[in-house]
Amino acid sequence: MIDIPSADAPVDAPRGRVLLIEDEPNIATAIGFLLQREGWRVSTHSDGRTALDAVVRHAPDVIVLDVMLPGQSGFEVLGGLRAGQNGTRADLPVLMLTAKGQTKDRDRAEALGVSRFMTKPFSNRELIEAVRDLARTAPE
Amino acid sequence: MPRSIPTGSRIRERRLALGRKQTAVAGTVGISPSYLNLIEHNRRAIGGSLLSRLATALETDRAALAEDGDEALIEELRAAAGAQQNNEAEFDDAPDLARRFPHWAGLIAAQARALAAQARTIEALSDRLSHDPTLADAMHELLSTVSVVRSTASILAQTPEIDANWLGRFHANLDADSRRLADGAEAVVGLFDRQAARGADRMLPSETVSRFLDDAGHRFDVLERDGVAAVPDLVGGLTGEDARVLATEILTGDAEDASRLPRALVEAADGPDDLIAAAGGDLALVLRRMGVVDPGRGLVICDAAGALLRRKPVAGFPLPVMGAGCPLWPVYTALGQPGRPLTVVVETPDGADWRVHAIAQAVAVAGFGAAPVIRATMLLTRTQSGGAGAPVGPGCRVCPRIECPARREPSVLSTRPDMLDMVDLTGDTLPRS
Repeated sequence: MIDIPSADAPVDAPRGRVLLIEDEPNIATAIGFLLQREGWRVSTHSDGRTALDAVVRHAPDVIVLDVMLPGQSGFEVLGGLRAGQNGTRADLPVLMLTAKGQTKDRDRAEALGVSRFMTKPFSNRELIEAVRDLARTAPE
Repeated sequence: MPRSIPTGSRIRERRLALGRKQTAVAGTVGISPSYLNLIEHNRRAIGGSLLSRLATALETDRAALAEDGDEALIEELRAAAGAQQNNEAEFDDAPDLARRFPHWAGLIAAQARALAAQARTIEALSDRLSHDPTLADAMHELLSTVSVVRSTASILAQTPEIDANWLGRFHANLDADSRRLADGAEAVVGLFDRQAARGADRMLPSETVSRFLDDAGHRFDVLERDGVAAVPDLVGGLTGEDARVLATEILTGDAEDASRLPRALVEAADGPDDLIAAAGGDLALVLRRMGVVDPGRGLVICDAAGALLRRKPVAGFPLPVMGAGCPLWPVYTALGQPGRPLTVVVETPDGADWRVHAIAQAVAVAGFGAAPVIRATMLLTRTQSGGAGAPVGPGCRVCPRIECPARREPSVLSTRPDMLDMVDLTGDTLPRS
């Protein structure tokens, strides 16, 4: 678990919860900071194997999921989530991050039912807007 | 396309131009006047050192006398022009170029070959980029780190009021990540350096061996004399263990063939039929020996998959350096009827006729019930048939028979606009076959 100090007072009332599943501590810090500033409550998790338990525990509105995770890849986590394993909500919006940006990664993620796919390096604005869009279209 | 002038006629033309008698020229090169007469009337094949001696005696270049001296070159020039999408009018004068400026033409052909080799290298490298796990990991690490640096740096740039706690943390992260980035970049460069150090020469072992055999005209006098014992010295100079192993296998086969069917018998024979008894009925042996011994004949051997194992080109019948041949070649017909000896006449696109002998037979039989390993062999001999030959080509990429029903891929010689569109200038533009 990565410790993220609380950011400056959010501009708006909390928008909702984001679960960031990412094993790279520095990128988790940066993304966490950005989303918190935008009014999200951000939790982070860094292990693929226990990711679904973390989803159940944190009950997020949006998941930001990295492909390369220790234990279990982001694809497997996504597959488990869409299958409703561990009693997770199968229709949770998922933004997937990958550094590979290859067509086959994107195809695989889309086949598994990803909501949005983003390749590293991304701009901070792109990321914030993507999470905001996903939350807006998410089922109640 | 103009009919090419046979080597014999060129020799005759040159001798008459110099006003020399057959007797005098024959004496200089150490053959009988009647033999020279047969050569001049294209009744005897000529090549090897005799052609070089005749060229010296007639004060000219060997290439100027050899039919393939410019035919092969002209084909390469046409392929080079086609690869660059030039229209027909522009490369119609390739024969002229080859004759008037043989050295420049040779340079163009050599550059086209180098381009083809580079295209293969690029293909291999892009394959490497998508399939090499080490490189993929290194690139993944680089992109991840770039991503953190980008995110963190723009947070710092766009958040002037950031609290000191965060500021310190982001600065520390940037410091660590920029180091990681430098290390990652170094690692990737290192990967490419190692790749480059693996050797500038990227020829496949089969290409290395092919070139080695072609340079020697597929004829090694020491193998005829000393047999298998001569093989290690012959292959010693080849680059690469794989190439040496491949060449050893081929030359060992040649040496064994030579001891089974001695050169004197082969040279005395008028055609393959004369040698069947001496070869103990091994028809493929007869064809291999005639193909290797006689510089005026071509030889092609393929396996059951149609892959060319041996290609000895002959003047006027260019064989593809890479890839498969023309599907209309009798060697493939023979493959469909193992054990049945074929003899047919074929015609190359320039109008030349060739007598082809072909046979497919088992090279190794493991035992009853085991599938035999089949190989097909074809011998090419120049002949005259007055247009009765079945059409064949040199392989689709450089074949001008656009409407051929057996065509497998567009020809680079094509002038049909829809076909030309398929030859992508930035992509696979180079002749492979």
